[in-house]
Amino acid sequence: MSEIKILHMYADMLDLYGDSGNMEILSYRCRMRGIECNIDKYSIDMPAPDFSQYDMIYIGGGADLEQQHIANDLLSCKDGIEKAYKNGTFLFLICGGYQLMGKYYRDADGNEIPGLGLFDYYTVAPISRRKRCIGNIVVSTDITGEEIKIVGFENHGGQTQDIKTPLGKVLYGNGNVSKGESEGYFEKNVIATYMHGPMLSKNPEIADYMISYCLHGGELSPLSDKLELDCRNVMLDRLLK
Amino acid sequence: MKRLLILIGKIIVRILRLFRRNAGNLPGIILWHLSRHKCCSMFKVDCPIIAITGTNGKTSVTNCIAQLFERSGKNIITNKEGNNLDTGICSLLLRYCDMSGRVKADMLILETDESHVPVVYSQLKLETLVVLDFFRDQLDRNGEMETLIRKIEGFAKTFEGNLILNGDDPNTARIGRQNPNNKNVKYFHAERYAFATDSIFEASEGRFCPFCGKALKYEYYQYSHIGKFICEDCGFGDYEPYITASDIDLEKPVFTAGGVTYSPKQGSIYNVYNMTAVAAVAKLYGIEQNITNGVINEYTVQNGRMETFMLGDRETTLNLAKNPVGANMTLRVMNEMKGEKELLFVLNDNVADGLDVSWIWDINFSVFKNVTRVVTAGTRAYDIAVRIKCSGYDESLITVIPDLDGAVEELAKNAGRKFVIANYTAVQPTRAALKRYIAKNSARSC
Repeated sequence: MSEIKILHMYADMLDLYGDSGNMEILSYRCRMRGIECNIDKYSIDMPAPDFSQYDMIYIGGGADLEQQHIANDLLSCKDGIEKAYKNGTFLFLICGGYQLMGKYYRDADGNEIPGLGLFDYYTVAPISRRKRCIGNIVVSTDITGEEIKIVGFENHGGQTQDIKTPLGKVLYGNGNVSKGESEGYFEKNVIATYMHGPMLSKNPEIADYMISYCLHGGELSPLSDKLELDCRNVMLDRLLK
Repeated sequence: MKRLLILIGKIIVRILRLFRRNAGNLPGIILWHLSRHKCCSMFKVDCPIIAITGTNGKTSVTNCIAQLFERSGKNIITNKEGNNLDTGICSLLLRYCDMSGRVKADMLILETDESHVPVVYSQLKLETLVVLDFFRDQLDRNGEMETLIRKIEGFAKTFEGNLILNGDDPNTARIGRQNPNNKNVKYFHAERYAFATDSIFEASEGRFCPFCGKALKYEYYQYSHIGKFICEDCGFGDYEPYITASDIDLEKPVFTAGGVTYSPKQGSIYNVYNMTAVAAVAKLYGIEQNITNGVINEYTVQNGRMETFMLGDRETTLNLAKNPVGANMTLRVMNEMKGEKELLFVLNDNVADGLDVSWIWDINFSVFKNVTRVVTAGTRAYDIAVRIKCSGYDESLITVIPDLDGAVEELAKNAGRKFVIANYTAVQPTRAALKRYIAKNSARSC
């Protein structure tokens, strides 16, 4: 039986807008195919795991306060995460997780939280807490080899700049910056995004892209995605009309 | 200028009344613009004001506190219809003030939206603030929960009136530490009840000390993050309760608070917390004990809060769930009930629901017992269907019918016990659809 191993970091602190649901969806889609999906959790004050033994590292989003709390701990994991990433471990990062892999995150009070600097982008939150990018978002992406429209929900103050390889093009909503054109950050083993919802709930192709990557490109048996696709189509019809 | 604004406001109320419209919010919105966003500042209120805020339970607690004073013979003004923003409170006061803006009453009891507490009470002098709890709810309207709590904390820094706080909710109790000079901070607390757990059962907020960032230690969790907590580093959570609910038995249901045993109509741990808050206000204001007994023991909730309908011979319970905590409580009640049942889940994403529906992923569906079928409806019927499916529930037992009448028809098709969960804007349309079904089918049978 094939197996994938996921490390879910700071599940108890970074979990906004159903982000933990992404783990539930990945394990559901594995289970339906007879793939074993083992999810380990890591949080502050725990002994550092061997990051490289995981097929995927997942970090969700959190409020400013929670992000400040985990920032130092995350920095102490820098070498381990960087090594895993270079060895091909998939990084799946939402919102706060996305921001903290860049150079830095400057919050609304001007506090600068250093990021891991794995990627060149950086994030600045506007001084007014009222200025947030909030709402449904539609993004067109071709990472699966086919052009698909994916749907999620964004809610972030942070404006992420200097993205060279985005996840996709914004068709509705904001994306990396207010009224922006691009959303997220992508490499073959990195999906970083502001899309909550949870992101995978309406975008099964993205879930399968990650599962397939973790299984080293294996062909996946098809699942009935009728509910998921109907769900997305309802939103696409509403938002792109 | 103020007199002119009052006059304009009163004319608008009259016109709306003439057209038989409920003047619940619109006059306030117009005055909000005319008064440069300070629509509550034109009123003169000499009597004490009690405000009630929090994510869950505001309406119930406000109604009960209003009754405490009403039954004590006081002339009170309260926002019964739940218009709880600054504009709603402005519209309410417009109806009761004279032409100079003076509001005549013995007491104002005002349900107030969490984000509007600092707005309204920078303009009106508040005597007592009751804060019930903070849960994820309509987060996208308010930004993040932390922002919301900080707003109230900012207000509490200079507030010297009575603060009645849920001492078992770290998100709420932290407000009590904002103004060290305020000697009027009072916490209510409840002892462990039968379904309390040693570890956390449902996704939640505030598991870390807001003052030093350490994980909070819990003696027990009543539900979600509500329970007896302490920060072992800085002592946050170590306080002397003003009033404690004990001997909680939800089967009967009974509980004791401040040495008096109450027998409320509704047996949920929520209700115990709400009524303990009511008992705290009664204690503070020296309400006669027989009046407090009457209010707490007779209070019943309607309007889709554990409301029963008969679809022919199929007993159906409807409950509002506007956030995961509410939904988890309904699932607990459903699971604790013996026998098979069918569930209808109605999910909308209108503005008042907060547009976002991702909170459904924080509902713990792993406890789904003896549920033989699920029907989903509402503007986000598919989202809840996907969510239930991914929890491991058999997809072939899920039917999606966005239209409510169709969904109720489908639900009533099979015999047996039914449960209906509806979120905020879905609850009234769902009640209406259930009533339409009942009317249609009783007409047919006679």
